[in-house]
Parts: sequence; structure tokens; C-alpha cells
Amino acid sequence: MVWISAGVGIAAWLLSLEGIIPLWAYEAVLVADVPIFVLSLGLWWMARENEPDIPFIGY
Amino acid sequence: MIPYLIFAIFFGLLLLGLHRKVIARIQQRPGPPVWQEILHMLKFSFKSTWIPRTASDTLFVAVVLIAIGIWTAAFFVVLAGGSLLILFGIYMLHKVVEHGFGLSSGSPYGKFGGVRSVISAASEIPLFVSVAGIAFFTKSLDITDIIDYQAVHGPLLWIVPLSAVAMYLVILTKMPFGPFSIVESKELVSGYKTEHFGVWRAGLEVCNGLKTYVLLMAFVVIFIGALPFWWLLLAMVVLIITYSFVCALTPMLAPFDSVTLQTLITVVMLGYVAWLGWFA
Repeated sequence: MVWISAGVGIAAWLLSLEGIIPLWAYEAVLVADVPIFVLSLGLWWMARENEPDIPFIGY
Repeated sequence: MIPYLIFAIFFGLLLLGLHRKVIARIQQRPGPPVWQEILHMLKFSFKSTWIPRTASDTLFVAVVLIAIGIWTAAFFVVLAGGSLLILFGIYMLHKVVEHGFGLSSGSPYGKFGGVRSVISAASEIPLFVSVAGIAFFTKSLDITDIIDYQAVHGPLLWIVPLSAVAMYLVILTKMPFGPFSIVESKELVSGYKTEHFGVWRAGLEVCNGLKTYVLLMAFVVIFIGALPFWWLLLAMVVLIITYSFVCALTPMLAPFDSVTLQTLITVVMLGYVAWLGWFA
């Protein structure tokens, strides 16, 4: 996912630089793409996953 | 655009680090280094991550994505000189997102944080709308038109100072350790974000950096006007230092007091806007 989202962002950037897509379309792609990239990057390089726990819900 | 977006995230986090540093120095503590918030973001992104068993999986993850997405959109709105109404809308969405953060985890601390977010929204959003008093002069709520007006008539800071105060207070409510920061107060651990740790918290830190940059940039652009890039950054640094002084020297209010005070200020602001409407 991290490579796909990075690829989409860079592709939109290049298409915008070439004038193939308008600026607003480039910005719209980034609005959807940046959050996915940020989270997928973290999930890609994070430490190993653990078992889910139950948060403290009071005594 | 991508390099500027990345810069905005990191500079926003640096401003939050500066905020903590200045507060600490005022309170005669050494404080963390100014890049602490950047380290926080990186640290959380490397940590082991999972979704709590009590959480709603979809909402738990979706709110982080939405939080980053809406402030990315806000960044582009301010850069493009779009309408202030869109910025208002995104600000309201952020309150919904905070609520979603709190309710998604199944933790009572998160839920209380989410509920407080809704309570504070009731007083913050009318305060934000009182900024609309500037439209009496600019005849528009587009940031481009506001900038053009200031190029001719001078900064709106001097023309509608109380509207600037209203927006200053709105941003103050989003500042950590501020008098109105009831959604994150210590009796709720970390408030609405208590159970969002690891990568989810790193995403939230990205959102916080971007949000800080966007709100400070919006304040400078709306009330001072278009500045060269380095002057804009300097103005944002000066602005956040003023927030640090306010946050360092005022206690966090109880939720009831926070909402009451904001509501009283809103009433004063609405009177001011009505007065502007009468004479403008």
C-alpha cells in the first residue's frame, strides 16, 4: 500500500507539472492519498504487531 | 506542492515544539528540545501498533485518515486563497473527528474527551463565525479578496481588531496546554486520543503539525495580509510565542468555565459584529 500511495502521489505531481491534470485535481488526489501514505508508511516500518488488549475501563 | 506539504507538517510540529519550550522557560523549567514533537511523531510511527479489542475497527482507523485528509484540504484552501467558509467547515469537521476519536476506542477517557469536544464546539464555532465581521469591509469571504483589500487599505488587524481577537481565541482553543484545552486535560489521560497509540498517534501528530501550520498561516494571511515566505514564517513564530505566554500564564479552565467564558466572549463578538454592520 505504501508504494501504491507514493506512486499515486508522485504520478499526480508529474501529471500536474506537465499540465495534463488541473491543479484542483492534483490537490484532490493528495487529500485522499496523503493520509493513506502516512498510515501505510508507519504500518510498513513499525515494530511487530502484538495481540490487541482491552483498555482500562474503570474499576 | 508535495514538498511544501511535507515542509508544512514538519514546520508545524517545530512550532508546537517551540510552544512547549517557551512555556517551559516561562515556568523556569528546561523543557524539551524544540524538535521534540518531530521526534514524537517518528517515535510513534516505529512503535508496535494494534487496535484495542473494545474499539470499532473501521472508525478507529478512519478518523485518523479523515483527520489528516481534512487538514491537507485546509492547507490547499488557504494556499489557493479559497473561501473562509470552507475553512469554517473543515474546523467543524475536525470537531466531529475529535468526537469520533473519542467514541471509537471504547475507552471511558476517550469518550469523555469526545463528549468535551462536542461541548466546546458549541462555543467555539459561533466564535469562529464572528470572524465573518470582516466581510462588512471586504465584501467577500474569499481569502484572495481579503488579501487584495489589505493591499489597499492596510491590515485588517487594525480595522477589525475584535474579529482578530475572536480568531486568536479560536486558535488558542486548539493549542496544547491552553486555558480552553479541555478535550486533552490531564484528568482524562490524553482525552480523545488516549487509546490512539503507535502509528495511529503518529498520524495524529502529522495532523497536529499541519493543523497548526494552517491555522497560524490563515491568521497571518487574513489579518496581516500576504507576506513574503520568510516573513510569513517569522510572523507564525511570533504568533505562537504569544500563544505560549498565554498558555504558560493561565490555568486550564474547568469544562463549564471554559464553555461559559467562550460563550460570553461570543456574545460580545456578536454585539461587535452587529455594531460593525450598523456603521460599516
